[in-house]
Amino acid sequence: MGEVIVITSGKGGVGKTTATANIGAGLAKLGKKVVVVDADIGLRNLDVVLGLENRIVYDIVDIVNKVCRLKQGLIKDKRYEGLFLLPAAQTKDKTAVSPKQMQQLCNDLKEHFDYVIVDSPAGIEQGFQNAIAGANRAIVITTPEISAVRDADRIIGLLEAKGLHDPLLIINRIRQEMVKRGDMMNIEDMIDILAIDLLGVIPDDEAIVISTNKGEPVVSDEVALSGQAFRNITKRILGEEVPLMDLDVDETILTKLRKLIFGK
Amino acid sequence: MESLISFKGNREGIYIHIKDGEFEIIKQQLQSKLNEAGNFFFGSNVINFKGKQLDSKEENELKSIVEKKYGIAVDNYNEQTEEENFFQGIEEGKTKFIRSTVRSGQCIKYDGNLIVIGDVNAGGQVIANGNILVMGSLRGMAHAGCDGNIKAMVAAFDLQPTQLRIAHIIARKPDNDDVTVSKWPEVAKIEEDIVLIEPYLRKK
Repeated sequence: MGEVIVITSGKGGVGKTTATANIGAGLAKLGKKVVVVDADIGLRNLDVVLGLENRIVYDIVDIVNKVCRLKQGLIKDKRYEGLFLLPAAQTKDKTAVSPKQMQQLCNDLKEHFDYVIVDSPAGIEQGFQNAIAGANRAIVITTPEISAVRDADRIIGLLEAKGLHDPLLIINRIRQEMVKRGDMMNIEDMIDILAIDLLGVIPDDEAIVISTNKGEPVVSDEVALSGQAFRNITKRILGEEVPLMDLDVDETILTKLRKLIFGK
Repeated sequence: MESLISFKGNREGIYIHIKDGEFEIIKQQLQSKLNEAGNFFFGSNVINFKGKQLDSKEENELKSIVEKKYGIAVDNYNEQTEEENFFQGIEEGKTKFIRSTVRSGQCIKYDGNLIVIGDVNAGGQVIANGNILVMGSLRGMAHAGCDGNIKAMVAAFDLQPTQLRIAHIIARKPDNDDVTVSKWPEVAKIEEDIVLIEPYLRKK
C-alpha cells in the first residue's frame, strides 16, 4: 500500500508543478514506483514539464468517469523506470471531478504504487479540495515572499481543518546573496511564521527554467544546485537524514573542500 | 391602509415600533391595536417607543394611553443600561483555551476571555468579549472586549498585530517600518481612548 502526497501552496507560480515533477522523478530514480497526478484540471502543466504532452490519450476525467481503465490513462515515462503520469483534462474545469471521486482514484492508485504525488492547483476552491481529498500527507511549497508565505499559512490551516496535520515545508527560489543583504526573508523567519517542519530549500536557479522548458526534470542534472536540492528532498521523503545543503555561492572551492574533508 | 404600529421584542423586553406618519393616525392605530389585543398585554412592561422621532408631548400622550387605558407600564429604558450589558468577567470569568496556531483565514470568536497557546498569524483573527492572551506571536488581528468592555486588554509574548481593537477603539501598526520590536511580552489596553502598549513585566 503506497502513500498519497499532495503538493500545494495556495499561491500560484511558486513551483508546485516543478516540485511535483522533480520529486516524482527523484523517487523513481531511487527505485520507487511513482505516479504523479495532475489535479489542475483546465490548466494542465505537469505533462509539459515532464515532456510527455504529446503522449496523452486519456486523462483524469476519463478515468473517474470510467471512459477508460486506470491503466490506460497512465502514461509511462521512458526515462525513469517506475514513473507514471496521470494527466489532467484540459477542456474541462475543476468541477468535472468531485472530492469523493478523487479519493477513490487515490485509493485505487495506492494499490499499485509506492508513491502517489498529487499536483494541486493554486487557490483554495474545489480544485484544491479535490487535490487534498485522497492525500495522506501534504507538502506545502512557498517562496521567500510575504504574499506566498501568507497563502502558505492559510493553506496549512485548511489542511489541518481537513485532518492533514503536520505538513512539510519546501522553500523554493531562495537567493542566498539577497538573504545575506537582508533584502529577502530568511529560512528561519519563514519557519517561525509557519511553524511546520522543513523538508528542503531550493535555490533560485536558471537550470530549473532550462530544464522545465526542455521537459527534463532538473533532479537528473548532476551539476545544478537545484538538482541536488531536489535529490536531497526525495531522500528525506524516504526517511533518510540529509543535512540542509550549503547555498552559499560565493564560497571558494577551497573552503568547500575543507568542509568536506574536515567536516568543518 | 398600512399599519404604523407594531409590537416588537428584543432581549430587553417589548417595545412599540412606530413608523413615520401623522400623529393622530398613530394614536388611532395604537388604540385599535391594543383593543384587538384585549388583555394580552395587561400588566406587562413595555420598554420604549422606537422608530419615529416623537417629541416629549406626543410621547407623554401615547404613554398615558398605554398606561392608563390598558394597564401597561412603560419603563423609560435608557440607552445607558444597554452599554452596561457587556461581558464583565475580565477579572475572573469564563475562558477558552486554543491549543494551536491561528492561521491566516481562521477566526476564533468567544464570548469570554480567550487564550491562544500558539501564534496568531497575519490574516488570522481572534475576537473575544473579554481579554485576549496570546502565548506566542500575535501578528494578526485581535479584538478584545468586542461587546463593549473598554477595560479589556490584549497581551502577547510578542505583540506585533496588524490591527488591534479594544471595545470600539481601533489601532494599527504605524506605517513607518522602524517600530522598535520589543524583546519581551507586552500588554495593550485603553487609556483615555488611546491604545497604550507597554511591557507587563515592569523591570525589563
